[in-house]
Amino acid sequence: MTGSREALPDVDGSGLTLGDRAAIALTEYRAGNRQALGDLVREATPLLWHTVRAQGVDRDAADDVVQSTWVALVRHAETIAEPKAVLKWLLVTAKRAAWEAVRKHRDDEKRRTELPDDSPEHPMALPANDPPPDAEVLRDERDRILWTSLQKLPGRCQELLRLVSLADRPDYRYISAAIGMPMGSIGSTRGRCLAKLRTILDEQGDFSWT
Amino acid sequence: MDLTPEPNQDDEAVGRLSFDPKGVLDAEDGAVLTRLARTVGAVDPVPEGLVERSLFAMTLAGLEAELMEAVYLDAPLAGVRGAAQAARADDAAPAEAKTITFTHDSLTVMITLSPSAGGRVRIDGWAAPAAGLDVELHRPGVDVVSTESDEDGRFSFDAVERGRASLVVRRTDGGGGAVSTPIIEL
Repeated sequence: MTGSREALPDVDGSGLTLGDRAAIALTEYRAGNRQALGDLVREATPLLWHTVRAQGVDRDAADDVVQSTWVALVRHAETIAEPKAVLKWLLVTAKRAAWEAVRKHRDDEKRRTELPDDSPEHPMALPANDPPPDAEVLRDERDRILWTSLQKLPGRCQELLRLVSLADRPDYRYISAAIGMPMGSIGSTRGRCLAKLRTILDEQGDFSWT
Repeated sequence: MDLTPEPNQDDEAVGRLSFDPKGVLDAEDGAVLTRLARTVGAVDPVPEGLVERSLFAMTLAGLEAELMEAVYLDAPLAGVRGAAQAARADDAAPAEAKTITFTHDSLTVMITLSPSAGGRVRIDGWAAPAAGLDVELHRPGVDVVSTESDEDGRFSFDAVERGRASLVVRRTDGGGGAVSTPIIEL
């Protein structure tokens, strides 16, 4: 079947992956080019954002986590042992900070619950977790079908497909770091998850996705 | 952090398939992934300006300037943020005129912000002791502007766009390192 080649992200391409580009950017930054990280920040921020949000961090806290992850990169630029693994380093750092933010949020909630004025006369507000993102903002019917179909997949499938879709030429090294899946099984898992998604989509009607 | 991979349970979880999971990505797969990326971006968009705010914070961090402390004379100033919780664009009501004092070791920098033409902000600063100082104004997404203090330690920037900023101060004779103010909301 033929379709628009432009619509096909180069997932298995042989060119430079995002991980490679990140490694080059860090190497140039270390060599004194202070501007070298700009493109990387532009390209990888969505990936960091969605990785952090996937840990259950609200939008405001996620904003801070992403910024401090980039600041941490600058502070550790000289000491990251493997420039090649810098994208993985970023994702692990962001994830760790996200968990910390979630833990802190829970502690705050707990402390608030213990306040003496939390009585039936002064009921405490329910935990201010963000409502789960929903499909209401999606105007296009196919977008809505795709989004609701995605929610029917196992959680790890959802996370994997989101990460794969977000980067042009993603590579399995950082996906492995981001979702804690062995690198060797990512390719086959992606195949299964995507096949499952296509199966669900197929059941919803005869749409062309190209 | 525990990076031990979890056992792969996706095999059973995925269930019945009518597409070949081992097949090469075809154009239809590519189109689904492309649309998925767009959908993810629409449902939970990356906040506007996050990239610029990150780059700004990185530039400041890269200067390795020591952070000055904001001194609260009266009430805490809403405009001053810790570097860690760099300000978000939507939660600061800009005050009309205000004075902020920053200190680091023996250096004190006081700035007064006042309205300027076209909704911009004028910054008048005074540094003590009045050694010759290079003062740089850093803002997200714009080039750095710099000026020198006069013999009384005074400096100014007229007509600065509103938004987030940080001042970085160095002695012109090269003595001592650079110091920077926390991020302020102009």
